[in-house]
Amino acid sequence: MGTPALKAPRRRDPDPGVFAWAGPVLRHVQAVMGTMVSFEIRIGDAEAKAAHVALARACSRLERADAVFSTWKPNSPMSLLRRGEMTLGEAPAEMAEVLELCKVARELSGGCFDPWAMPGGIDPTGLVKGWAADRALGELRAAGVRAATVNAGGDLASFGGPGPGWPWRIGVRDPRAESALACVVESPGAVATSGCYERGPHVIDPATGCPGTRCASATVTGPELWLADALATGLVVAGEAGLALIEAVEAYEGCVISDAGSIAMTGSFPVAT
Amino acid sequence: MRRTPIVLAGTAAGLAAVLGFHTESLGTNVVATPSGSSSGASTGKSTTTTTGSSSSPGRVSSSASTTTTTTGTTGTRTALGADVQYRYGDLELQVTVTGSRITNVEPVVDTAYDPRSSQINSYAEPLLVSETIEAQSAAINGVSGATFTSQAYVQSLQAALDKLGIK
Repeated sequence: MGTPALKAPRRRDPDPGVFAWAGPVLRHVQAVMGTMVSFEIRIGDAEAKAAHVALARACSRLERADAVFSTWKPNSPMSLLRRGEMTLGEAPAEMAEVLELCKVARELSGGCFDPWAMPGGIDPTGLVKGWAADRALGELRAAGVRAATVNAGGDLASFGGPGPGWPWRIGVRDPRAESALACVVESPGAVATSGCYERGPHVIDPATGCPGTRCASATVTGPELWLADALATGLVVAGEAGLALIEAVEAYEGCVISDAGSIAMTGSFPVAT
Repeated sequence: MRRTPIVLAGTAAGLAAVLGFHTESLGTNVVATPSGSSSGASTGKSTTTTTGSSSSPGRVSSSASTTTTTTGTTGTRTALGADVQYRYGDLELQVTVTGSRITNVEPVVDTAYDPRSSQINSYAEPLLVSETIEAQSAAINGVSGATFTSQAYVQSLQAALDKLGIK
């Protein structure tokens, strides 16, 4: 089959100066959770001040998620829980919420995403970043801005689009080339990608407890990032065979890029044309 | 590397959205001149920029961030930008727009804080500059990929988008 599909589709876009939402654009980059989180906010008719307040709240959400769930910070509630020095009842309330979501994701992924099968104790990292970005985005939505994207180190939560009837277009990085895209998708709300090309073989196969993936990268789209993030983590372990599982999850779609560079995707994966 | 121009074309179109120029400004040059903060002692961890027709908004109070506000009115030919402060250096881009096309992008300030960053920048910037100019048609608003570390961010496509967007 070779490497036929690795070509970003070309499209003549409407002139952004004409078709974009009127009003200011607010951008922000925040260092948090061991990565950089980029915000793009189309303020629209909302009060600029309200948008800035919402952005500050959104950043606080991310900082808080990092403080509670970091497995790198030795004294985070997550680390204490892993070492048996804190019970779930003693942990902050969002701990139980996230672990509940982890169970849902584990089931939907057929066990390919399993925080309980990680070496060193329970590790919800593959879901937390997406969950935190969902909450950050919620702050912006509540402020009444027209549209926004939150890109948490490569996983994006968004609503609206850069202009009326114009979806956010998200490039999926080619796992083999830093400056190239494998494809472009129109975001249905969440776009998450998992792969080993950035931070080495850190994705654990729950079946073996060892690092292991069956493709170069996996991308999952859907309405919410917590689940897209977790499913992408599972899909990169499962490889192309895992697409059947994604297909079974309503409103979620997946795409797998093999080590050789070929792309396989579910039937309704929202590739931009 | 056939795909690269398309990627950075997106960058260019994103910039177009920020600058808010219109096609009727054909034949004129728009130069986005960097301005704003120049503090060498800043934490360099975060940058916030607002562009557009809003009145000046308030500061964002957040532990690891610096906030810069710029205003450029939609439809006008001059946009002011702020420099982007990264952990590993400052980068300012001067963008020249002719009509609805970006005709030149060049870094005007390139202060890397350590030799390794210099190396990264010298690799990343020529790519950014040449490819931005080459193709203009496909727009992307973000890049999804395996999670990068905050150190690796500076080399990422998302950083390129943020850089140009912030201008």
